[in-house]
Amino acid sequence: MSSNNKDLTDLKFQDELLFAGNPTFGSVTEDVSKVVETKPGQLWYVLFGISVSLTLMLFSMIGYLFWEGTGIWGLNNPVGWGWAIVNFVFWVGIGHAGTLISAVLFLLRQRWRTSINRFAEAMTIFAVICALLFPTIHVGRVWLLYWVLPLPNQMEMWPNFRSPLLWDTFAVGTYFTCSLLFWYVGLIPDLATLRDRAKDKWGKLLYGIFSLGWRGGNRQWQHYELAYLVLAGISTPLVLSVHSIVSTDFATSLVPGWHTTIFPPYFVAGAIFSGFAMVMTLALIARKVYNLEHIFTPKVLERMSWVMLLTGSMVGYAYSMEFFIAWYSGNEYERFAFINRAFGPYAWAYWIMITCNVISPQLFWFKKFRTSIPILFIISIVVNIGMWFERFVIVMTLSRDYLPSSWDYYSPTIYDIGIFIGSFGLLFTLFLLFLRFLPMVAMAEVKGVLPEADPHHGGSH
Amino acid sequence: MGIFKKLPGLTIAEFDSTGSLLHAAEKMAEAGYEKYDCHSPFPIHGMDKAMRLKRSPMGYIIGTMGTIGMTGMIALTYWTNTYGYPMVISGKPAFSWQAFIPVIFAISILLSAFGAFFGMLALNKLPQLFNPIFGSDNFAKVTNDGFFVSVEANDPKYDEGNVKSFLESIGGKNVEVVKGE
Amino acid sequence: MNYDANTYTIKDSGKIGTIALVLGVVFLGISVLGYMNDSAHFFLNYLTAYIFWISIALGGMFITLLHHLTNATWSTVIRRITENMAATMPVFVILFIPVVFGLHELYHWSHAEVMDPSSPSFDALLHEKKGYLNETFFFIRTFFYLAVWTFFGYMLRKISVEQDSSGKDYKLTYKKLSAPGMILFALTTTFASFDWMMSLDPHWFSTIFGVYFFSGIFLSGLTFLLILLIYMKSQNILQNVVTIEHYQDIAKFMFAFIIFWSYMAGSQYFLIWYANLPEENYWFLYRWGNTWESVSMLLIFGHFVFPFLTLITRAAKRNIKLLLFMSVWIFCMRFVDFYWIIMPTGMNEDGSRVAFDFNMYDIAPIIGIGGIFFWFFWKQFTANAIVPVKDPSLNESMKFQNT
Repeated sequence: MSSNNKDLTDLKFQDELLFAGNPTFGSVTEDVSKVVETKPGQLWYVLFGISVSLTLMLFSMIGYLFWEGTGIWGLNNPVGWGWAIVNFVFWVGIGHAGTLISAVLFLLRQRWRTSINRFAEAMTIFAVICALLFPTIHVGRVWLLYWVLPLPNQMEMWPNFRSPLLWDTFAVGTYFTCSLLFWYVGLIPDLATLRDRAKDKWGKLLYGIFSLGWRGGNRQWQHYELAYLVLAGISTPLVLSVHSIVSTDFATSLVPGWHTTIFPPYFVAGAIFSGFAMVMTLALIARKVYNLEHIFTPKVLERMSWVMLLTGSMVGYAYSMEFFIAWYSGNEYERFAFINRAFGPYAWAYWIMITCNVISPQLFWFKKFRTSIPILFIISIVVNIGMWFERFVIVMTLSRDYLPSSWDYYSPTIYDIGIFIGSFGLLFTLFLLFLRFLPMVAMAEVKGVLPEADPHHGGSH
Repeated sequence: MGIFKKLPGLTIAEFDSTGSLLHAAEKMAEAGYEKYDCHSPFPIHGMDKAMRLKRSPMGYIIGTMGTIGMTGMIALTYWTNTYGYPMVISGKPAFSWQAFIPVIFAISILLSAFGAFFGMLALNKLPQLFNPIFGSDNFAKVTNDGFFVSVEANDPKYDEGNVKSFLESIGGKNVEVVKGE
Repeated sequence: MNYDANTYTIKDSGKIGTIALVLGVVFLGISVLGYMNDSAHFFLNYLTAYIFWISIALGGMFITLLHHLTNATWSTVIRRITENMAATMPVFVILFIPVVFGLHELYHWSHAEVMDPSSPSFDALLHEKKGYLNETFFFIRTFFYLAVWTFFGYMLRKISVEQDSSGKDYKLTYKKLSAPGMILFALTTTFASFDWMMSLDPHWFSTIFGVYFFSGIFLSGLTFLLILLIYMKSQNILQNVVTIEHYQDIAKFMFAFIIFWSYMAGSQYFLIWYANLPEENYWFLYRWGNTWESVSMLLIFGHFVFPFLTLITRAAKRNIKLLLFMSVWIFCMRFVDFYWIIMPTGMNEDGSRVAFDFNMYDIAPIIGIGGIFFWFFWKQFTANAIVPVKDPSLNESMKFQNT
């Protein structure tokens, strides 16, 4: 019995577990904690300096925006939603890969997720922070933002629960909270590891406080595992619902090119697509900076490229359905909206989108491209660009409405561009701080899938 | 006093693998110990059964919270749109439930997540930054690669000498007694 | 029936095939009576039954393609079944003939006068779609779909059967076949759903319709697979080969696709309801009135709420009796779904929509086509071993465990 079991585990292990070398519990702890415990190299400081400068630029521009109003952006009459909504959808979408990796792959018992889930979840949280920034600063009188919440007030007014924009508040707010809790629950045992290894006072104090006094007893693990499972379980419908709800910002309207029934699944597929691309970009950078080749192994990267190929093709499918049905509807406004996208003033953006999102991932059909690190890096960036343009193309449908005399072209101002670039600064600042102070790989989970973790391993039982 | 009860001392023993810890857990349960625990760097498959633990009540906590979220939000959308602040928007009926599904769903999920998180903390009595078990230097290994069984001094069967020899007899090493507060 | 557990073959396939064939022929005969009774109703009915059964065959094809593309090992033991489901396509090529004859009764756009600007019943909107909705192109497309499906159904089975004797590893061949197969599958099923179902109401359009159809295909395939497996289990066939772990996995997929289907159906409804545009909301309005409310409600509760709540726990997914009930239930709901899409599009003489009218003739084509389908399936299925005996991953598949 035991020998039989061992064969099976070993076979599965070789096939599924994707860590190179022969890691032990101790070596996993050592490898991951070392990153946090040693002073980072020069590269980290350089990157951090750049990110912090960009973040400062972001906040000073936001300060000016509050002073001056949204007029500093390139908003014009038909295009009342400019880059702010494009960036919002872009960042929320990026976040989805984190939840998908951490929750859905957990439920599907995909072991390869353990090497990237912490990392991806961190990215989710930071991306959602960036996303929440944009609607917040776009409301105009930002100090009245709390009006979106159903709070009793002396005006006896209540928010409009029929409005997709209000749904966003609830959906993205919930999404952020759940992701944060899920991430933190996963972090607790690993923070305890850092606590037990900490040498200096501050490390002992802070890791001690945030690990909550974790003792790793099975009476704790019992509830912990269930909480983790449930958080994964409820994050899964969240992945579907959040971007579906974001898509209703457009799809519940009567605007040709926006109101189309495929939007919810199409947005979800696009979100996963862009999110995986961003995880790939960040993983490849972290791999280089911290020499983590044995954790982000080529096999993990290859599987991620499969997901990108799949979701990229789904997005391509959705583009063609939109186009075909617009023609099939026989409605001249529908038809015009799409002809305008492909051949109108924003044709350049449309074809960038098609090239980056539909054509470039098709390279992943070939093993040569899936296993080449430079190609993976380039495509991951290309896809990120393409997915930003997808949202841009959708929003710029506004530029040509029913009345040709009001048609206008959206020209971004320096503040549009600055705030968008600044949001990358914010993401990278948070991310670099995460890499510096928190374990970037879920140690406890990685240990849990090592072959020695199986109590029947090696016939010792 | 009050909620700050003094924590008891413990006897801890180290084991060398998940298999031997699981085996030890079975023996501990068999011998009738109650206030013992098996510590490991990660959850071990089959440990709940070996320790004969009752099912975690987390499911009920989460379910209750989710239900509160759902009914609360249904009530809120119903009341605000029918009585509190009725407005005709896009020609829909006052309680157009389809349009309220997104918020009802979001709040149900949110409260379930709170149930999972705070329920887990409450059941595990966390945060509890101090515990006598941290007095053992060897025990720091538990978050790295160590496997331990601990028996609390207030276990009805606790007797320092017996526990020690029992732990050794089931394969425990480095048996150590940690003083309570 | 005589099953040999060593070679995994069903020696004496018994009377099941013959019974199915007889039932098929008899009930197709009864359908002819239905045709004479009310030809318009018959054709809609026949189309419902046709799409219902072809979606099962397509479901088998999808599961097989997915198996090859994802290097799945757990599903090796059930692959021979899904391959044979997919290989029944020739039956559907032949059974499409009545639809050809019913084209004018079924599809309003095929009437010459609606496309003729000089006619009083000229329809400008349909005239806009003439490039797509015309008889020649419709037949070319249908021929293409059926040809693609027949080809892939035939090839997937052929290679697999070849392996039984040659014992070679065809992993790469399968991959090379399945990759383009999957792309073609996605496109052909989408456009087939547009052509066969969406264009029944030629003014209406929905971009999600193809995905909606796809979600149903997968469910149909799974329910048929599960019913067959449980039946074979009761006959002591594939004991210890298809284990409770496999049932649980199939049930997981079934649960996931119940949600997926509901998500698609819900998105379509929700967006159209919200925007409330007269050019598209009428499609739901005549399904929510005109005596069709009960069918719509049945779909919501029977196709989503009930199976969702029932299959949510792990214990339910490992309970064979419950699974049998649920797979039969969802199997029936799949029919309700197609019935709900297709039947209400019927028109009375005066141009009003038909009311809900389920009679004996509605059942005849379902059993008729089903009988022929099953006869052909069973004949091919029992001709060889019922698992891919020489597949390198078979052993691992049999030992599969849900962790």
